Amino acid sequence: MIKLENVTKVYKGDHVALRDATLGIDKGEFVFLVGASGSGKSTFIRLLNCEEVPEHGTIHVAGKDIGMLGRWKVPYLRRNIGYIFQDFKLLPNKTVAENVAFALEVIGKPRHVIKKQVPAILELVGLSEKMSNLPSELSGGEQQRVSIARAFVNRPLILLADEPTGNLDPQTSIGIMRLLDRINRTGTTVVMATHDRGIVDTMRRRVIELDRGVIVRDQARGVYE
Amino acid sequence: MAISPVYALRETGQNLWRNFMLSMATVITIGVSLWLFGGFFLFNYAVDNATQRWEGGIEFVVWMNPEATSEQNANILDAIMTSPEIQDYTFVDQDAAYEEFKDIFSDTPELVEVVTPEVMPPSYRVVPVDPDADVVAELASQFEGRPGVKTVVSANDTIRDIQDLADEVGTVFLAGSLVLLAAATLLILTNIVSAIRNRGREIEIMKVVGATNWFIRIPFMLEGIMQAMLGAVLAWGGLYVIDQRVIGRFSQPDSLELMAGFQVESDELIFTGGLVLGIALAVSVIGSSIAVTRYLDA
Repeated sequence: MIKLENVTKVYKGDHVALRDATLGIDKGEFVFLVGASGSGKSTFIRLLNCEEVPEHGTIHVAGKDIGMLGRWKVPYLRRNIGYIFQDFKLLPNKTVAENVAFALEVIGKPRHVIKKQVPAILELVGLSEKMSNLPSELSGGEQQRVSIARAFVNRPLILLADEPTGNLDPQTSIGIMRLLDRINRTGTTVVMATHDRGIVDTMRRRVIELDRGVIVRDQARGVYE
Repeated sequence: MAISPVYALRETGQNLWRNFMLSMATVITIGVSLWLFGGFFLFNYAVDNATQRWEGGIEFVVWMNPEATSEQNANILDAIMTSPEIQDYTFVDQDAAYEEFKDIFSDTPELVEVVTPEVMPPSYRVVPVDPDADVVAELASQFEGRPGVKTVVSANDTIRDIQDLADEVGTVFLAGSLVLLAAATLLILTNIVSAIRNRGREIEIMKVVGATNWFIRIPFMLEGIMQAMLGAVLAWGGLYVIDQRVIGRFSQPDSLELMAGFQVESDELIFTGGLVLGIALAVSVIGSSIAVTRYLDA
């Protein structure tokens, strides 16, 4: 599902964010990216989502070599990738249902499909009762559930999560991780960057550790450290 | 998948509403600049139509002294009739000149009252074979100073004066409208950049979930086009006023005879309206294209 070969990303000022990274992630895997701040976790995720271009190496996502992908094809690749932000990035003037529907509307899905899929995904994340609420009327955990619903409503093959529990308390984080685990069990590949030791140690999934842009550990059923 | 028209119009409407004041300023600037631009064309059409009437008819007028003897009159008439360079002429006697005078000064009866047909100068209105300005001037000069002749007025001089005035006024109109059109393009650009910044999070989400560049761009470009179209409608209103209230005034029976042909034909008005619309479209597409390519794709 995801394959990196000798990928290097260098930012201005010769700051190496990722150095010679080679790895593969299979369909349906749940992978934690761990490491200190600035270790390259976010760059890794941004490379997978075509927000960054590597200086060296090749990246395959969902069967496509994204280096060979025309610029106009990038949006179509992104429809196979869901993205969850640490700060939720919900639209404050839209209701819960409208926030989720927005993700379908802007990729041109017909109205009848939106009407069917939005209530279904909100039921999955446990927010059927709050469809008409604005984000400001929700707790942090609920807002992150809306963000997950928006990322997953188009049933992507891959879900990228950049510290999705970073702004949440431990109890709420457990609820979010249960939800991500449930999504993973549907066959969706999940790649999650995190600093949360408790979550990683509890879930015991594959752990990729980065240190100053270098993959220093790739461990099945791993722990945080 | 194609962008839904409902979605595009809703987003465009929201963008316009969010930046209402700036949108209004843009629409007014576009309207005024297009009005000046269209006004330049209408004015030129009117001048062309007025001068064409002269060019196709009388080219110079030989005004006789009212006291000229019949012999002097006969000499002038003979010179006109025998000249191979003269195609046609019309003699306007004192009674006919008086009738014309009454028509022109019908608004000032006190002036009409003190003038009698006897003081009106009769005239020969002469059409030369060759309408070239230099030829006409040379021909007209042959009648200057001859016994019984009061003065010779070449219509070409008048036409030249009108055309010179029209050129000067037109240049001012055109320069002003071009400056304002440049300002309007910058306003459209600023307006769209402002809308893009206001909707930064939405745009980020759209990109992340896989909206195509055109899907994101179209509502912003439509915003610029809508502003320009509204400006064009405003300009049309202004051009209608110019046509009816300013140019139309000269076509009325009580206006100066010289300006009687100063009018715009309906096909010329339609062409000018279309041109204004085309310029509005071009300005909006240029402004919005620069905005979306420089600030949206970055």
